[in-house]
Amino acid sequence: MSELVRPVPVAVEKTPPRAAEGPRRRRWVREVGWRHFVALAAVLFALYPVAWVVTASINPTGSLASQQLVPTEPTLRHYRNLLRGEIGGAPVPFLAWVRNTLTIAGVSSLGIVFLSALAAYPFSRLRFRGRRAGLLTLLLVQIFPSSAAAVAVFLLLLNLGNVFPAIGIGEKWGLVLVYIGTGLGLNVWLMKGFFDTIPVSLDESARVDGASEFQIFFQITLPLVTPILAVVGLIAFVGIQNDFILPSAVLKQPDDYTLAVGLWQFVSQRYGARWGPFAAGAMMGGAPIVALWFALQRYVVSGLTQGAVKG
Amino acid sequence: MGRVGRAWPALSVPPGLAVKLLLLAAVNGLALLGLPRMVEQRQWGLVVGVVVATGAVDVVYLSRVRSLLPLKYLIPGTILLVLFQLYPVLYTFYTSFTNWSTAHNLSKEQAIELILARSEAPRPDAQRFQARPLVDPQGRLALLLTDRQGRLFLGTPNGLEALPPAEVREGPAGVEVRGYHQLSLVEAAAHQEELLGLRIPTAGGSIRLNTVTTAAVATPTLRYDPRRDVMVNVESGKVYRPVEGRFVADDGEALFPGWRVFVGFDNYVKAFTSPAIRGPFFRAFVWNYVFAASTVFLQFVLGLALAMALDHRRLRWRRVYRSLLVIPYALPSYLTSLIWAGLLNQQFGPVNRLLGTNLDWLGDPRWFGLLPKSAILLVTMWLGFPYFFLVTTGALQSIPAEYTEAAAVDGASGWYAFRTVKLPLLLTAVAPLLIASFAFNFNNFNTIYLLTRGGPPIAGAQTPAGHTDILITYTYRLAFEVGQGSQFGFATSISVLIFVMVMAISMLSYRKTKALEQVR
Repeated sequence: MSELVRPVPVAVEKTPPRAAEGPRRRRWVREVGWRHFVALAAVLFALYPVAWVVTASINPTGSLASQQLVPTEPTLRHYRNLLRGEIGGAPVPFLAWVRNTLTIAGVSSLGIVFLSALAAYPFSRLRFRGRRAGLLTLLLVQIFPSSAAAVAVFLLLLNLGNVFPAIGIGEKWGLVLVYIGTGLGLNVWLMKGFFDTIPVSLDESARVDGASEFQIFFQITLPLVTPILAVVGLIAFVGIQNDFILPSAVLKQPDDYTLAVGLWQFVSQRYGARWGPFAAGAMMGGAPIVALWFALQRYVVSGLTQGAVKG
Repeated sequence: MGRVGRAWPALSVPPGLAVKLLLLAAVNGLALLGLPRMVEQRQWGLVVGVVVATGAVDVVYLSRVRSLLPLKYLIPGTILLVLFQLYPVLYTFYTSFTNWSTAHNLSKEQAIELILARSEAPRPDAQRFQARPLVDPQGRLALLLTDRQGRLFLGTPNGLEALPPAEVREGPAGVEVRGYHQLSLVEAAAHQEELLGLRIPTAGGSIRLNTVTTAAVATPTLRYDPRRDVMVNVESGKVYRPVEGRFVADDGEALFPGWRVFVGFDNYVKAFTSPAIRGPFFRAFVWNYVFAASTVFLQFVLGLALAMALDHRRLRWRRVYRSLLVIPYALPSYLTSLIWAGLLNQQFGPVNRLLGTNLDWLGDPRWFGLLPKSAILLVTMWLGFPYFFLVTTGALQSIPAEYTEAAAVDGASGWYAFRTVKLPLLLTAVAPLLIASFAFNFNNFNTIYLLTRGGPPIAGAQTPAGHTDILITYTYRLAFEVGQGSQFGFATSISVLIFVMVMAISMLSYRKTKALEQVR
């Protein structure tokens, strides 16, 4: 924390001539100084839980009771145990959880990006009967939160699984299809907006050159929106890896859990004893997402104003 | 772009077409693979859906009709959207009008079959066997049966087969027959449950184990009379009539399992009138609104206050502060909820140690769970204030400086100028975000469920209901938490109420943003 306290003295040093120091300093405190104080208080509040997790993950004792904010003998034991997949003789399939999360969220977001780009293209470029009705339907359908339909999704997968076991209860591929299906509504809208910004003249010149409709889509339009496709995909990824309600209802075996379900099962009954390993798991699960978030911040904040909210 | 319009040799198939045909073949193949099983399970809705969807895919991609072009892009997404977004919503409505639950989980035919099978019991004069439990390499169980005359039979879940004695070999560890080998006593004890549940169907009944070494023919003690649609006890003649998805006798005795039937608005009526359910439901309902509104309010106020404090030209380290303040929002909320649950732990949590208190932050049921509710609001404020901090910072910076300068010229300053000039402009800008955030928090399952699981429990509630439950955690617990069994019918009726309320909020937001009119 000591680094965070530094800004104030640094700023004070900068205030020049000694003679005028008194009134100037007072003015500085009144106009700027108190802002540092507020900011520091807010940073303390924001980082208090984070600091506990960071230090707990390197604290040799795993229990919550014996935690200190500054561990005396830092160790990477909890990380090693998780990566090895066992803690105190009990198996903890942490790597399987990471793998499942990456697979489910990764494949789902790829599917969302591809299918919503595909569906957004005619809405942006072609004029056909039912176009406006289709757009309005999309807008209305995506109102219904899929989390509130979780029971129906569960029963649907139960039925589908009787016919196609690979997408039934307990299988990740059923979840993937659900995420793609429920992710389309909003994202088709977003994509249509991006396509609308690309000049139609590009399509037309390609058409004159003899390109087919699919060639225009795959070779002209898609390459131009690739960066935005990546952003949409990553945002979908972040949202899906955070989901708890569907995977906890659908996935049954510990080896099939996602990180969210696995870490919850792992820690929720026994905060006292499993705090250290959980903290290490939280670091490994959370740090990449935070990094991703900072990389995408620019897009997310502007995208946020379009209604994609969390927390 | 160079390949555009390139001529392919006349007889070879262009790669695009080849891929298309392969994909179409795969889709049709999958559908054909699934159809027999769907028919076998009498899932007629699924049959119709699969046939229609596959037919549509074939027509759209094989036809050269120009007007079908948009569908070539739309159909894959449409199928998934209909199946996994639209259909679950409709299915939620459907289920909410049924009594679907653990006790009413089957179709009527399945229930009758199961009731008859469960009623089977050996009569005093039943044929009896010596039994030796068997297992095959796949772990499937079977029985080697010897009747009074010493004849041998192999009993599997598929039926009974006579065995010529020559097929039975005595091995070192018991008998071996047709790939099965005998279970040792220890193994048999380990599989006792499964063995006693093993049912070998015979004409008019089944053979079951009485002990691990003896079996007997069991016959149903109940008979289904399809003409009168009743169950009759074979010996006593007692009659069970179908009432709301169960066979019930005149004295009130009911047979299990039941089956799914339509119950009309019963689930909704129950939520609003049944004394043991109405109370907890109503509390969850009110708390749902209080929770969402307070969360948005707290996040917004704290975010705005920070935005104003940090929005100053001469403030150094602004970027550093901003990056650090955003971390709570950037972390996945399932993690932060679990972290806070640990920090607020009564026995070991650092928060109690920091404050020198011994409060049960997440489990104190006093005053309608005031303490857990406050703790939840603290956490959601922590989770979400960075969002409003970012958004209001942007909004504040986009308000032209002339406005505030003009206000200052007119003599308004400080708080008054802020309240009358900046705040109204700001509120107009962020109103849609406030509504969206409200809608999100209205269904903020992660934070509540991972912090308190909806607890602490409300004393005397008939359904699993807690003081901090909002509607969505309540439906989840009704449907998926073991203990009282799954109550899908009732749970979906609450989901429908959520839909109605979320729809109202969204309409409000669309009206605010005029999104519907702008559809071009």
